[in-house]
Amino acid sequence: SYRICSDGKPAKFQPPPKPVIIDKQKQGEERRFLSPEFIPPRGRTDPLKFYIERKDMIQRRKVFNIPEFYVGHILAVTTADPHASEKSSRFVGICIQRGGKGLGATFILRNVIEDQGVEICYELYNPRIQAIEVLKLEKRLDDNLMYLRDALPEYSTFDVNMKPVSRLDHEEIPVNKLQVRMKPKPWSKRWERPKYNVKGIKFELPEEKMKEAQKWSQPWLEFDMLREYDTSKIEEKIWKEVNEELKK
Amino acid sequence: HCFSFPKVEDCHVLRYVSKEESGAKTSKLLVGGKNGSPFHKSESAMEIFREAGVPRKQKVTTFNVTDDAIIKPGTPLYAAHFRPGQFVDVTAKTIGKGFQGVMKRWGFKGQPASHGQTKTHRRPGAISTNKASKVYRGKKMPGKMGNIYRTSFGLKVWRINTKHDIIYVNGSVPGHTNCLVKVRDSKLPTYKECNKNPPFPTFFADGDEELPEDLYDEELFQFTDPSLTYT
Repeated sequence: SYRICSDGKPAKFQPPPKPVIIDKQKQGEERRFLSPEFIPPRGRTDPLKFYIERKDMIQRRKVFNIPEFYVGHILAVTTADPHASEKSSRFVGICIQRGGKGLGATFILRNVIEDQGVEICYELYNPRIQAIEVLKLEKRLDDNLMYLRDALPEYSTFDVNMKPVSRLDHEEIPVNKLQVRMKPKPWSKRWERPKYNVKGIKFELPEEKMKEAQKWSQPWLEFDMLREYDTSKIEEKIWKEVNEELKK
Repeated sequence: HCFSFPKVEDCHVLRYVSKEESGAKTSKLLVGGKNGSPFHKSESAMEIFREAGVPRKQKVTTFNVTDDAIIKPGTPLYAAHFRPGQFVDVTAKTIGKGFQGVMKRWGFKGQPASHGQTKTHRRPGAISTNKASKVYRGKKMPGKMGNIYRTSFGLKVWRINTKHDIIYVNGSVPGHTNCLVKVRDSKLPTYKECNKNPPFPTFFADGDEELPEDLYDEELFQFTDPSLTYT
């Protein structure tokens, strides 16, 4: 039976619209990650030095896989240790900070073992490191989680035998909007001041203290043109270079 | 380990001065460094460059050389002149700090900040004794600090990049970034025997021997090797 449209004439058979296939793999490829140690700092050094350092870094990456990770991920690192019984030691912790540029790039892992907070600073390109595994992926609200030293120890404890959390390869990295509760003052740094720009702490201080901390704010800093360092073009060039070399 | 990367930029041999001419114990070779513009120097200085047939150099140094190592003026010098495992002395002008006081320049302790000191916190204090009744020559006093030639001795060469002419040298070197530097075989007695197998008199890039792009020392970790393990 044909459908009769409002005109009264029999309507021609309209095929259903074609299904739109959203290729999730292609969407994931659009996301780029360039490790922050590839970006050269601002200075008067010869760019040739950075070029050669990058070649060395890519060489090392071809042999040893350094996964993509941000501050807030939970990593397990196995290093060669001449004094350990099995000649290798494994440490699990949350990445607090990524510092350094070039071959001296470091990251600090923090964990609380038997009620003692332990932070170990590893160098990414250290030949003694045998494996880096990402156990849990989550970005946090800040780039620098040093305030975990003054937070309650439950926020820094992670199980040493934690199983790696499975994750689809091309999903967005989840952002954990956890607000951390702190130990009573005094802290190692005055985290309420706007200079640290900390968004992940639940401040339980009275309002007057928060207002007093805003006295040290420097709102002119974001308009200062001499401090600007636009890395977008440099990043693109380095991204192309690094990708070409890694594919070889 | 901390490294410095001096780069060999357009070095040419400029002139050969024999023993009798200069009146010294060994004959000398004048070597010029980085290229520069020819307009900012006097004619007499430019003559040396014109004789050697070489563009004007920003820095000219002398090397004391034995008779069997004389090189013809005009030959270029490369980083492959040195080999990994050699020991080297590096000379350069230190960073100029200007007129500095006695505490920064000579490391004097100064005076306490409080407890009644009247306007005396960074001064030298006494400069001589009563009996001497004069101030000795060479007394450490405030003055212009830096911008003088200093050498760091016995630096090991770990790696040489022949393509870009870069020498990786152990430790730190005097001078600011991108300053001109003089690199010489070490004269320390402990390293006299280590420098016995270099390319002699120098490395000629005629194409006779093809060197690989990077030359490494044996003890250095190569990035192509897998991670280290202890047994």
